Amino acid sequence: MIEVKHLVKRYGNHVAVNDLSFTVDTGKVVGFLGPNGAGKSTTMNMITGYIAQTEGTILVDGIDTLEEPEKAKERIGYLPEIPPLYPDLRVREYLQFIAELRKVKKSDRDMVIYEIMKKTKILDVSERLIRHLSKGYKQRVGLAATMIGEPDILILDEPTVGLDPGQIIEIRELIRELSKDHTVLLSSHIMQEISAVCDEIIIINEGKVIACDTPENLTKRMMQNNGVFLLIRGSKEEIEEGLRAIPEVTDIVYDEERQEDAVGVTVYANMSADIREDIFYAMAEKKCPVIEMRQLDTSLEDAFLALTKGGSRQFAENENYKKKGEEEE
Amino acid sequence: MLAIYKKELRQYFNSMIGFVFLAFFLVIVGIYTWAYNLASGLGNFELTLDSIYFLFVLLIPILTMRIVAEENHQRTDQLLYTAPVSVTKIIIAKYLAVLTLFTIGVAVISVYPLILSQYGSDVRLATAYSSLIGFYLFGAACIAIGVFISSLTESQAIAAVVSFIVLLLTFLLSNITDMIPTDSVTQCTIIAVVWIAIVFLAYNSMHNVTVAASLGIIGEIVIWVVYFVKASLYESLVNNILNILAISTRYEDFSLGILNYDSIVYYVSISVLFVFLTIQTIKKKRFS
Repeated sequence: MIEVKHLVKRYGNHVAVNDLSFTVDTGKVVGFLGPNGAGKSTTMNMITGYIAQTEGTILVDGIDTLEEPEKAKERIGYLPEIPPLYPDLRVREYLQFIAELRKVKKSDRDMVIYEIMKKTKILDVSERLIRHLSKGYKQRVGLAATMIGEPDILILDEPTVGLDPGQIIEIRELIRELSKDHTVLLSSHIMQEISAVCDEIIIINEGKVIACDTPENLTKRMMQNNGVFLLIRGSKEEIEEGLRAIPEVTDIVYDEERQEDAVGVTVYANMSADIREDIFYAMAEKKCPVIEMRQLDTSLEDAFLALTKGGSRQFAENENYKKKGEEEE
Repeated sequence: MLAIYKKELRQYFNSMIGFVFLAFFLVIVGIYTWAYNLASGLGNFELTLDSIYFLFVLLIPILTMRIVAEENHQRTDQLLYTAPVSVTKIIIAKYLAVLTLFTIGVAVISVYPLILSQYGSDVRLATAYSSLIGFYLFGAACIAIGVFISSLTESQAIAAVVSFIVLLLTFLLSNITDMIPTDSVTQCTIIAVVWIAIVFLAYNSMHNVTVAASLGIIGEIVIWVVYFVKASLYESLVNNILNILAISTRYEDFSLGILNYDSIVYYVSISVLFVFLTIQTIKKKRFS
């Protein structure tokens, strides 16, 4: 179990991680999702003890990572974004080194390494120098290395980045298999990957948690916000008046960037109500031509975009988005 | 700890640097031994060592350039610092690995005096071995400096060049100090200027004008008040300080056959100090 409480990391004036709190329960596969530069790797580096936090505490199975770093590190297997491999060692030598480093008993070492190489399918390259391996094999060797020493928790930073589709599926299957007896924290900026393997998703942006839920619930939350995006020619007041007249409408959000002379607007309605027809008649009455009308997608992809960039705006409480809006005004 | 030590040695020999170092070292020592002891028929092995210690300037950077810098460059430092091993153990293991390589070289050449003594009676083994001990300790100190410099950068090339320059400067320091006038005015001025430089460096890392300015002014006042009260204090003070930093001058004792307690402690403390500094730099990097 990993508990992160009020984590802050500052680099001079730049705040990379800003008051981050979340919990990863034992046995769960948790996805850490966010655009590039959201603070995913920084957070993972802090959990694994590679860098120290400016403020806040991290507990790994109840052990404070700053007070007893070595005990905490024993429980974690970490695969950074770039797998930390030594190009001038052979695969077997490398894994042997890790086994020694992580204090695997000498008598068990060969067996452990063999089992893990079998699991990650790298037996056929075990005598090759790491420098000669392909990207996919390197990633697998990196993954094999994280499993040595039987850590309960695996932290994988973008494990499938740079791999071809076939390899991605292989790695994903491997992760799913590992999740049977490990707690896994996995980061990615690719939605499908996360929804394919994770029990729970933590979405972060600009160093803050924006949402933390199961993939199903996240999609559901989106569903509740049944939205239509419109591009209408006409004055704001008239449009507002017309739209408010429709009883099902719950919220109206304007797009700050006016496209040509049209008003961009997202209209939200109660669940399951189809308001497209009502909008059409309402706007026709006001003589405001509707140039474009589009039902918002309710995929996870969309949720992610909405949450991280304010895309379709339903999570307008997101501070960062608000600030940006104010500046533009 | 043992794991890292073994890995370093394996990497030295997998990547050829280990062999290149040993070959280079043995060839150079061989040439000098041949020229001094065999061709000229001298029995003094200490003279040979005297002429080759200057090669540390070239050899030590080759040996130490990759030791930490390469880990930073390949991001394998992430592996080491997230493993359940403390930074102190990691760096000590690395230092010992480099030292082992150097020890192999010195162990081979330490047979030379014995070989020479088979062919002549004027080979003074005691002097030869005391200078070998000095040679070894001196090398160990230089290696610690090299390891430290390697930990400051991500690039092997920069680590090598900086180590080369730093070692060269410390080797030449005794010659440079001889050129500085020893009168108290010059010496006091030098100290005053150096103090300003130190304050500037401090300002660079603190970004606090008041602290830096007050430090600078108070320091300067103290320096000049002391000068007017007792100018004789400054006589050859800078030269004395620089002589402490000139690590190569300590070696002279050993090559004369004097196993001086100070000099041994001096070299060992330089090694310990720089290994310690390396550990601290890495620990500090985690927090910045």
